[in-house]
Amino acid sequence: MVERARPLLGTTVAIRVERMDEDGAHRAIEAAFAAVAEVHRLMSFHEPDSDLSRLHRARCGTRVPLAAPTADVLREALQLSAWSDGAFDVSIAGRLVAAGLLPPPADTRPPDRGSWRDIELDDEDGVRLARPLWIDLGGIAKGYAVDRAVAALREYGVAQGSVNAGGDLRLLGEGPHFVAIDTGANAGGMDIEPSEQPVLELGEAAVATSHSRHARAAIPHLDGRTLAPAGPGECVTVVAERCIHADALTKVVLALGDASEALLRRYDATAYRQDLHGQWTTLGMPA
Amino acid sequence: MRSRFLLVPAYALVAAAPAHATVYLSVEQAQALMFPGATLTPESITLTPEQMKAIEKDSGVNVLSPNLKVWRASTGGLFIADQVVGKHEFITFALAIDTQGAVRDVEILEYRETFGDQVRNAAWRAQFTGKTHGAPLKLGDDIKNISGATLSSRHITDGVKRLLATYALVLAHG
Repeated sequence: MVERARPLLGTTVAIRVERMDEDGAHRAIEAAFAAVAEVHRLMSFHEPDSDLSRLHRARCGTRVPLAAPTADVLREALQLSAWSDGAFDVSIAGRLVAAGLLPPPADTRPPDRGSWRDIELDDEDGVRLARPLWIDLGGIAKGYAVDRAVAALREYGVAQGSVNAGGDLRLLGEGPHFVAIDTGANAGGMDIEPSEQPVLELGEAAVATSHSRHARAAIPHLDGRTLAPAGPGECVTVVAERCIHADALTKVVLALGDASEALLRRYDATAYRQDLHGQWTTLGMPA
Repeated sequence: MRSRFLLVPAYALVAAAPAHATVYLSVEQAQALMFPGATLTPESITLTPEQMKAIEKDSGVNVLSPNLKVWRASTGGLFIADQVVGKHEFITFALAIDTQGAVRDVEILEYRETFGDQVRNAAWRAQFTGKTHGAPLKLGDDIKNISGATLSSRHITDGVKRLLATYALVLAHG
């Protein structure tokens, strides 16, 4: 077994390869890290050379060509915005900047009241902003990076292993795999001593967890429709085939609660939600 | 996606140590990966108080130890093993710097983190010792992944910044 970790995407990304010779495992892990680093480079909100920074600097109404991975993620994000009626909205970055939770992008105008509806993505991976706005893919790109890393591992013949980007993870191999859920109950916002530890037993699947239990000024999950904190005091874990969906859907379930049932089924996903009293419910596809 | 949700009594979870520790690479393994085929020569460097102050001023990051673990690669470039201490974690990492003084790679060598109060609190755990039945799930053994534990890399980023300042001010012309 070979496992390595690097600081990427603002978190610690750990990649594990099992049942493979050591040299082969290192080559596969190297390729997987390169895939994650590419997502980091293209979709960073801060880095001046990222696709997003280029888009934010461009004049409103100008078509900006995106790298294929960035366009892929934006396409998934806009689909989810449409299906969640805007509860998931990557254009709320302006609000996060205004609240001091993200640094303002350099050399760009502050956004006005634009939303995901003002992001026009065409079939040739070009994008045009109808109104000035800032896009933050932080709620979805991590999951996508995990999917890309898994694809790289598979290309190198890895059949057993995992990719974990700070709690957004994907498992390779039949399993059963056991994944513990950190519900954030110790992060503050809840005053319980958990006597039970939630654990998922899974096959080949992706898992992501988000909670609104931050005691300190962490970047909150906002409901894109109301800009209010989504699911205060709640924790949501989503199991899906692809990590991009698991990652993004955790925020949708925090925002929509029971109303996310149909949406989860569209993605063949299951959500485990813990309310602020510690009660668990299951939504979406039957487990 | 098929999945099964289990609520395991906290006392049935066994952690190998008070803190959940993951060792990824040894220093030697990291050196072989970051400088393949090169011979690495260790250099023992102790920073003077003045140098420490200059590094802190330049990087904006506190220097905790005057001792540096540096290796020079026969193929050019430097390998530095260092550590950062966060609120709940202790991380050792390796930094490879190329001949131009740019970051080539960062690898985490060991990540030690606390995992929840029930595991962090050794006294609380001790009261359940011997009370488990059946096969307990072992953290890090049966349970190899934690979902939702957002491990910040801010301290590592700061550590890299501090080492780049150390390179520019102390090591570049050594």
